[in-house]
Amino acid sequence: MNRPFFHPPRIQRELVILPHDEYYRRRYRKNRGGSWLLLLVTAIAVLVAALGARAQAAESTVESFERVGMDESGSGDLLFKSSEPGRYIPAIHLGTEVDIRVRGLVAEVTLEQQFRNSSNDWQEAVYVLPLPENAAVKGMEIVIGERRIVGEVREREQARKVYKAAREAGKRAALLEQQRPNLFTSRVANIAPGEAISVEVRYLQTLRFDSGQFSLRLPSTLTPRYIPGSPIASSQTVPLNAHGWSLPSDQVPDADQVTPVMMPADELVSQEGSHQMKISVDLGMGLPLADIYSPYHEVNFHREDNHQYQVSLKQGAVSMDRDFVLSWRPQTSAMPSAALFAEQSAMASESSAQYMQLLLLPPQGNLSARKLPREVVYVVDTSGSMGGNSIRQAKESLLLALSRLTAVDRFNIIEFNSNHRSFFPRPVAATPDNISRARGWVESLQANGGTEMAPALKEALSQQLDQQAGELVRQVVFITDGSVGNERALFEIIRQRLGETRLFTVGIGSAPNSFFMTKAAQYGRGSFVQIGDLAEVQSKMGALFQKLESPLVTDLEVQWPQGVKVESYPKRLPDLYRGEPVRLLARVDGDALGKPQSGELVISGRLAGKRFTRSLSLAQLTVEASGKGIGSLWAREKISALRDKQRERGPVNDPEAVDPLRENILELALAYQLLSPYTSFVAVEKTPVRPQSEPLRSSPVPNAVAKGQVMQSFTYPSTATGVYGQLILAAILLALGGLLRAVGRAPATLKGFLARPRLVRKWIAGVERTVRRWLRSVVPDMRRRRSHRQPGMPL
Amino acid sequence: MIRATRFAPWLSALLVTAGLWQLGGGGWLLVKAELAQYLISDAWQRQLASGESHKPWPWADTVPVAQLKLAGEKPLAVLQGTTGQALAFGPGLMTGSGEPGNLIEPRTTVIAAHRDTHFSSLGTLQPGADVHLQDKGGRWHVYRVRGARVVNSETERLPVTDAPGLLLVTCYPFDAVTAGGPLRYLVYADYVGANELVEL
Repeated sequence: MNRPFFHPPRIQRELVILPHDEYYRRRYRKNRGGSWLLLLVTAIAVLVAALGARAQAAESTVESFERVGMDESGSGDLLFKSSEPGRYIPAIHLGTEVDIRVRGLVAEVTLEQQFRNSSNDWQEAVYVLPLPENAAVKGMEIVIGERRIVGEVREREQARKVYKAAREAGKRAALLEQQRPNLFTSRVANIAPGEAISVEVRYLQTLRFDSGQFSLRLPSTLTPRYIPGSPIASSQTVPLNAHGWSLPSDQVPDADQVTPVMMPADELVSQEGSHQMKISVDLGMGLPLADIYSPYHEVNFHREDNHQYQVSLKQGAVSMDRDFVLSWRPQTSAMPSAALFAEQSAMASESSAQYMQLLLLPPQGNLSARKLPREVVYVVDTSGSMGGNSIRQAKESLLLALSRLTAVDRFNIIEFNSNHRSFFPRPVAATPDNISRARGWVESLQANGGTEMAPALKEALSQQLDQQAGELVRQVVFITDGSVGNERALFEIIRQRLGETRLFTVGIGSAPNSFFMTKAAQYGRGSFVQIGDLAEVQSKMGALFQKLESPLVTDLEVQWPQGVKVESYPKRLPDLYRGEPVRLLARVDGDALGKPQSGELVISGRLAGKRFTRSLSLAQLTVEASGKGIGSLWAREKISALRDKQRERGPVNDPEAVDPLRENILELALAYQLLSPYTSFVAVEKTPVRPQSEPLRSSPVPNAVAKGQVMQSFTYPSTATGVYGQLILAAILLALGGLLRAVGRAPATLKGFLARPRLVRKWIAGVERTVRRWLRSVVPDMRRRRSHRQPGMPL
Repeated sequence: MIRATRFAPWLSALLVTAGLWQLGGGGWLLVKAELAQYLISDAWQRQLASGESHKPWPWADTVPVAQLKLAGEKPLAVLQGTTGQALAFGPGLMTGSGEPGNLIEPRTTVIAAHRDTHFSSLGTLQPGADVHLQDKGGRWHVYRVRGARVVNSETERLPVTDAPGLLLVTCYPFDAVTAGGPLRYLVYADYVGANELVEL
């Protein structure tokens, strides 16, 4: 079939004006500019499209992927379980209400935690409960509606057995165990589906006093602990599932108990408002206050009669992702230089015993006292747990500390995570040049890796060995969040290697390990500050510098009246830094207090070379019948002293032998009804509630990730090298480079080709012909169809 | 236009250099992953013979702890730890997960590797396939694949249980261009039993 329509119009050769060389040259040049742009745009588009397609593919495949019930593979003893597809949803919801009553120098805290079972199974809730490091826990009760089941103190293993038996029998039961002085495990068994059971924990806490300011701290979560060492078998005798993410290690045998599941706070709060905390404080010190404030929360307070203050949270409830701190300052005129409280023993067996609590302010030295040259080693924690806001606070603190050094001082900086690095091999003079180099290094620090604190500590304490230092004051400033599981080993290092050095700790983050901070500073004969917010760095570090640079109160001694039988803690009074008070907790036998013949208590010490004495009359002291619980605090202090002794002595070599110190602590804790490393609270309901046919599931109650911290994926390693991306990038770059080169060389060949227009036209015509042929075979011919249809059409 | 012509060769050279650099970097990763396996396997064999830990090369910071054989694949020596340094050379046994062959205290064994080197074929592992794992004592243990799933590592935790299973972890999606995504591909295999001889 001939279709002239498709033929190119014939043009006579003479009529064609052929372009000359100059035209091609210009045109080609122009095109090359365009092709450049085109090339680049295409390359970018391809790259973007490839990446986009990847991201989309990644998102879309997750949902459609077949899920295998791995949860069924174990016997319900999962360390981590995902009950819902793609997401971990806690079976137990947690609500907390805290009631704090401040009387004298003691805060009495009632912490009620409600565990609500939102699943369809009977549940056991396991929650890692953080408390202040100096808490004397003296009560635990289960609250079910109006009913209360009072918990009792039992020896730890015995308590476990009682709890386990009750759990198996289907009775409601609760167990509260101490893992660290500031970390406890709270368990509630047999919570029916949809039911809520509350556990009420009561404890006493001594108020902190520093630089004219009282404060108390209530932790609500913890920073995940790093567990050094290699895994070993759990050493529990009565095994209870701990739900910890870490296995016990040779350095931290109870690692599974102190490593709870962590979840972002907003995710928890979105689960029907779990992990919310209400706090109310009744401040009744009997002193007119000048200032009440909470650095990390907004609080309301109103004044009542008799210098009583009621403090509550402005928002009503807050998420449990940071420590609650309340500070208050008495009016300067009302500030006593000493506070002394006494009470009669509440126990019938020792009715003649009395307990006494003392807080005394030593004279304040002159701030302009001659500064001694110092040699400071700063140790900064750059482990993964410091990620987020913490590392910024740490850097800021460190930079501030560097700016404070003078030319007579010497310094060094050590950073540590899985390994440690020392900036200078030995401390160097604080010349402007050295300081600016150190600043640059500090700015570049990044947080990741483990927290191998022990080698860094050893390094810091061994750097200042040279004896030629002369009159230098040696200090180590340790900036960390203290998120380690092997605290005891670290304290031992500090104790053994301290020498003449003094160690100061700077606690960083929204939920630092206060136990580590305070105890390390105690062993290091130093002091500590805690920084929870970037805005606090200036003021808190300022307070620390004052301590570092001011003279100490030394040689403190207490003299009791003749013939009085007394047991007081701390046994040896520590040296005091500027703003710190003398504190004492004592037990006095034989009704010796508050009588006319009681005599005087004399405290003497030395400040900047001058001796001073203070005497306090014990005769005028009013001994209260009972109540504030100074006795409990005294026992708690004694347990702490015994634990220190135990740590210094080391473990008992013979495993069969009875540890006398353990027996002491146990006896004391049982007598005073206190929670201790060897005693636990256990409460059991009489009648079983769970039918034996119903299974019991054990679920961890997660702790919220502390504010400003990055949730660490402890579990999944990163398992891609990105080698594909690299190879694709390589291919694109090479292709681009190659193309460019080809284009650069193109003029000669192209020119040659284009110079023969007939050839080109011939080629184009050939292409056209092929296309035509193909089109004919594909496109149906309408004319033909019509002619075919015509016969059948009715006319 | 004239300027563009003058710079074209330079830019071209620069692009080619950068391309070669990337190619070299990527190639080196692959070569390293491949070659290191020879050294590690050698160390593993010596370790099996002597019973003492052998470092694959003198400055290595890890030691082989097991040997893994996926169905239809060459055996791979498994290193201790899942840090980036270890995973560059071979699959890593996650610290804290179950020790291969420890049946007294059973616990899921977790082995992770890069999706673009050693575990690139993990996606083809079918349910029912056998996975063999050799422990330090030289005994081979057989695991049977139960299934696989994709998890988001930001919201989920490793399902480590007290059963002696095997969990293979790698990144997902397998052909993603960039590294560091949150998704992980898990293959779970049930423990079948110990087997003295395995045909390699």
